[in-house]
Amino acid sequence: METMIVTGAGSGIGFRLAQKLLSENYRVTAWDIDQGKLAGFSNKNLTFNKLDIRDPAAMTAATEAAIVESEAITGLATCAAIYRTAPFLDLSEGDWDDHFNINLKGTMLACQAVLPAMLKQGRGSIVMFSSLIARRGALNSAAYAATKGGVLGLCRALALDHARAGIRANVVSPGIADTEMPRRVMTEADLFAKGDNIPMGRIGTPEDMVEAAYFLLSDDASFITGQDIRVNGGAGLF
Amino acid sequence: MGEKQNILITGAGSGIGRASALRMANNMHVIAADWNEDGAAETVALIEADKGSATAIQVDVRKRTSVAAMKTRIDSEIGPVQKALFAAGVFIRGVVGNIPEKDWDRMIDIHVKGTFLGCQAVLPDMIDNGKGAIVNMSSDFAVMAVPGAAAYMAAKSAIYSLTKAIALEFAPRGIRVNALGPGPIDTPILTSGRTPEEYEQARVTLADSLPLGRLGQPEEIAAVLDFLLSDRSSYMTGQIIHPNGGQLMW
Repeated sequence: METMIVTGAGSGIGFRLAQKLLSENYRVTAWDIDQGKLAGFSNKNLTFNKLDIRDPAAMTAATEAAIVESEAITGLATCAAIYRTAPFLDLSEGDWDDHFNINLKGTMLACQAVLPAMLKQGRGSIVMFSSLIARRGALNSAAYAATKGGVLGLCRALALDHARAGIRANVVSPGIADTEMPRRVMTEADLFAKGDNIPMGRIGTPEDMVEAAYFLLSDDASFITGQDIRVNGGAGLF
Repeated sequence: MGEKQNILITGAGSGIGRASALRMANNMHVIAADWNEDGAAETVALIEADKGSATAIQVDVRKRTSVAAMKTRIDSEIGPVQKALFAAGVFIRGVVGNIPEKDWDRMIDIHVKGTFLGCQAVLPDMIDNGKGAIVNMSSDFAVMAVPGAAAYMAAKSAIYSLTKAIALEFAPRGIRVNALGPGPIDTPILTSGRTPEEYEQARVTLADSLPLGRLGQPEEIAAVLDFLLSDRSSYMTGQIIHPNGGQLMW
């Protein structure tokens, strides 16, 4: 069986993507600092590594363990991220650094940990998560927006560096979706009310994002690299 | 079999249109429309040889009367259209200084007006159904510039803008509209305006210029089309997806 590695797999889109990959007959190596929803979830093809996305040595060790159990590591999806809001002048240096260390540097470090195995195989597909906020901004979201913009640049550079080695790298940019993340900064009612201002009339579901990520990981996307797939119900028509 | 949905594909007689018709025929009835009647008929023969079902229709996408006649025939012989790909296109090389007016008109009419008339023709069926999905054929050249392609670039940009406009207007009715923006694909359009020697040289040069180091195959575009027309992309509208080997990272 082939293995896909998912970061941030304890909750939100990462958790749903891990489930989807298991249902599609992949081995899944799931990383998160907090086991979250995976705690009550058992599957013989699932390995959970409790690790910090800021810890390269832990990710390298977990990748090497995954290689032993699998014929190939064909996919990496980097879902681990934080989102905290603050008025710009109140944005603390600590909050800024947390966003960058987790959302952007963590994504880069996860890629560095997994890429050597993909390069050895001569194939692999990486999916990173940016956000509609990277291009459109959002109130009180400077740190998050900057990191998600950074992911777009990181992805393109990585895609160029490793295209000839058979590696594809792409981004999914969700609009607002029905996950834990937005609930940390808004009420349930406000979250669903956001759908009124979206052309398709609803906020996204985790499955909407999972399907896009799965498409990019699969051979259906064999000629797609360096792209940003925007799953936002028409909220960002630019 | 009676439950099969219908997909209209223009430009189905060759290249990406044909590969798309073959892929979508896996579970849909394909209406293979093309200016080139023989090309459309060949596509239908290929689908039928693979146990699919399809209907060939000759159409001039530039003419409202021709598009209307096609739709009348679809209404009477086949039924409502649930999905559509508008992929009719040509490539006429030319620098701005001396593009003949007739070449300009031909490019804009086939690509832009053809896409517009096609969308107008199928949208009522989708509105009645409360659901639908359309994909329009744009190009990397909607966004990036290359020499000698002014009319093509203008046409493909217009298709992308039209896609967003229709997506916005019909999102509340459950209809999704997206665009494909392929990079260099190994199709007959690559031969256009080139001698056989220039074509061979272009294939090598183009492949080498791409990060992935090879031209795309029409089947790889059809796979993306399948995604965009399926419920796998049910929250995506007004977007352009670039299967382009990394030619443009956007």
